[in-house]
Amino acid sequence: MRHQGGWIQRLLGSGSVHGGTLLGLVMAAGLLSLPALAFGADAVPPAATEYRDIPYVGSRNMIWIVAQLHLLLAGFVLGVPIFAWLCEVVAWKTGEKRYDKLAKEFTKLLTSAYATTALFGGILLFLLISFYPKLMNYLTDIFFPSFIVYCLLFLVETATLYLYWYGWDAMQDGGKKTFHIFLGFMLNFFAFFIMIVPNSWATFQASPVVLAEGSDLARAWAATWNPTWWPVNIHRIIANVVLGGYICGAYAGIRYLSARNTEERDHYDWMGYVGNFIGVFGLLSLPFAGYWLMREIYQYNQQMGITLMGGFLSWLFILQAMLIGVLFLGSNYYFWLGITYRIPGSEMKYRKPMLAMLIALLLCLGVWMTPHSLVASMEEARKMGGSHHPLLGVFGVMSAKMTVANLMILVTFMSFIMYWRAGKQETAGWAKVAKAIMGGILALSAIAVIVLGVWGYFVPALIRINYFSTTQVLVVLGVMLTITPLTALLLRSAKTTTEMVWGKMPARAGYALVLNAVMVILLMTLMGYARSSSRVHWHVYGVLRDTSPYAYSPALGSAAAIMALNTFFFCMIVAFIFWVATMSDKAKAPSASTKSELPHGMPALAGASSALDEPKVPKF
Amino acid sequence: MSEVVQLQLIGLSVIGIGILILLFIRATFARVIGFVWIVLGLFTLTALSVPQMASLPPVEEKFDIATVKTPTDMATIGQKIFFSKGQCALCHTIGPSESARCPDLKGIGAKLSREFLFESLTQPQAYIYLDYRHEGIAKEYPARMPYINKNPIGLSRNEILSVIAFLQQMSGEPISVTVAELAAPGQEAPAAPVKASQSGPVAVAQAH
Repeated sequence: MRHQGGWIQRLLGSGSVHGGTLLGLVMAAGLLSLPALAFGADAVPPAATEYRDIPYVGSRNMIWIVAQLHLLLAGFVLGVPIFAWLCEVVAWKTGEKRYDKLAKEFTKLLTSAYATTALFGGILLFLLISFYPKLMNYLTDIFFPSFIVYCLLFLVETATLYLYWYGWDAMQDGGKKTFHIFLGFMLNFFAFFIMIVPNSWATFQASPVVLAEGSDLARAWAATWNPTWWPVNIHRIIANVVLGGYICGAYAGIRYLSARNTEERDHYDWMGYVGNFIGVFGLLSLPFAGYWLMREIYQYNQQMGITLMGGFLSWLFILQAMLIGVLFLGSNYYFWLGITYRIPGSEMKYRKPMLAMLIALLLCLGVWMTPHSLVASMEEARKMGGSHHPLLGVFGVMSAKMTVANLMILVTFMSFIMYWRAGKQETAGWAKVAKAIMGGILALSAIAVIVLGVWGYFVPALIRINYFSTTQVLVVLGVMLTITPLTALLLRSAKTTTEMVWGKMPARAGYALVLNAVMVILLMTLMGYARSSSRVHWHVYGVLRDTSPYAYSPALGSAAAIMALNTFFFCMIVAFIFWVATMSDKAKAPSASTKSELPHGMPALAGASSALDEPKVPKF
Repeated sequence: MSEVVQLQLIGLSVIGIGILILLFIRATFARVIGFVWIVLGLFTLTALSVPQMASLPPVEEKFDIATVKTPTDMATIGQKIFFSKGQCALCHTIGPSESARCPDLKGIGAKLSREFLFESLTQPQAYIYLDYRHEGIAKEYPARMPYINKNPIGLSRNEILSVIAFLQQMSGEPISVTVAELAAPGQEAPAAPVKASQSGPVAVAQAH
């Protein structure tokens, strides 16, 4: 570390003792001597500072915390507009005003959320320039043109956000509403580019490409199109939707727990449902995007892939499986609570299927959490009889994990369909045939996934990865794309046998929503650590080596402590943003709460109506 | 007290405070915070319960030619490089193993000449296979083996020769690499970066 400011402080100190005149003279002399300093610099060129550090916390930890918070906030401010815009479109198409209200409620968060995200982005930039000047010089040299593009994108995004938010009430009718919807689309369009431009910087660090000589623009363009750029873009956009949905759910859960009257309970129960639905909707497709990303990493550099999946990070994927498993369980549990408490009389009817699904999920989770390659000592390996446990080793391979991941997605999808159909009786003449076809599709697809998984043990890895795993993914996607429209068509003419009752959910439903949000945030922090650690001791993999004292990846336990800290900080920041944004609502609350704003029935997908009798929220 | 134990105590304390909040405080937001603390504490404790391995930068083997007197000395250094900086054991095994991702190297020093071994390490794409499992013209099937003499692994010539000496010794073969072949300090070419996309096949040597 180089300290260059001490003499200035001493001069200023002497100035305070001997009076302003002396200080003025000294400073004037100093200014006059600046050219001489420049000549002096020519004579003895100072060594370029590569790293700076701070005591106690350490520069790397500081960057880690700020970067993680910035990224989580960025995910939030990119996920929320997607969520809000989808709700606005639903309101626009169906005429259900409560969706518009929900969209507005979340858009209101954006102005303060954007400012907070930008604040952390600014802090991160200053810290990076201060602590890692060598790396920043290198990246600036390559990505300078995209820095300009990034700034321009921020300008148009901010302008669009102002128009979208402040024009909400003024653009509610006719063509103005259409224009407002268009503004919402543009907001998300620019936000998408705001996400993918910095993604190119981060992915270049992990998977750099050879940069030929050329113009600044050509080099930046070549570096941007690195092998993991698009897999990360797609993975992150889906993850942002998931984050936005589950945070909406958690917010609704907390408000539901603290609701003071029936209207609030009804509204936030419904909001929790919508948040969980959008979260699950994204979650079902997220593993596919993750699989593609991992495949691209292996294609790019097998060592990096092995470091991630089979090297010192192998235990990380067991933790990831645990978090995803809890998330799947939490989401399904919320669905099951919904069936039990919102649709009276359904509890007994669906108890057995719910129990079967719970057992299936737990079994799948058990297989997913079975480690594959353990970095074991010779003694440990000898005790196990090899690098694999004799009994469990068979479940640790990718073929088994891919199979159970797909089965968990299928089970969650079944939960959703079950919830959707609960309390309704199909009246269409072809209902029986349709239900038989859907049952057949589900059963056959589950069998196909299992058969391909077992067969995968007996074929070369290349065939398994390129054909079998891809087929499993396509089968599950096919199920969702077939059964969803078929169910929608079937329920269009269905008769509601049991009215949906809002505000009757037990308190643990609210905590389940909070748990889901915490799981998603933890997953993001965990995988951020994985991506960063996969570069091992390189700033830019294989090109620019990390020569700082922090050129190592900490063990999982220490890393998890920082992840937990980051998750808690982020939750507090989001809570603060919600608190600030809803402060004025609370002041207006007594007059604003009217019967006309109550949720009337289920959202379009679930289709039922609310019963507004006084609920009692059971204690947790 | 080790760092792991300290963190475990902190994790347990966080969970304990979370439980106390849930037991004694009625304010909803405080209870939610207590619940989140319990979840985060449990996550940290779980992460602390798995094997704790930090990923350290590879140790630079001090290659002091003055201390290398015999080929056996070279093989000893080569063994260290095989399991550390060279990252060979990340993919290869010595002896059959269920977890092997790449060819088993047991006896490899007896099967292949030292020239072929050197070329396999420094020009892994020199010999490629043709894959006939597709319709139409057979596709090239390049090896996944990285360039060992270039970044990110970047072994020097001396280090590669030592690894070959180890492979030969481990296969029960006489070591054909000699100490005289080692380059003097400062005369070795530094490792250069290379990317997978850059490395094109040199020749198609085998088609079956």
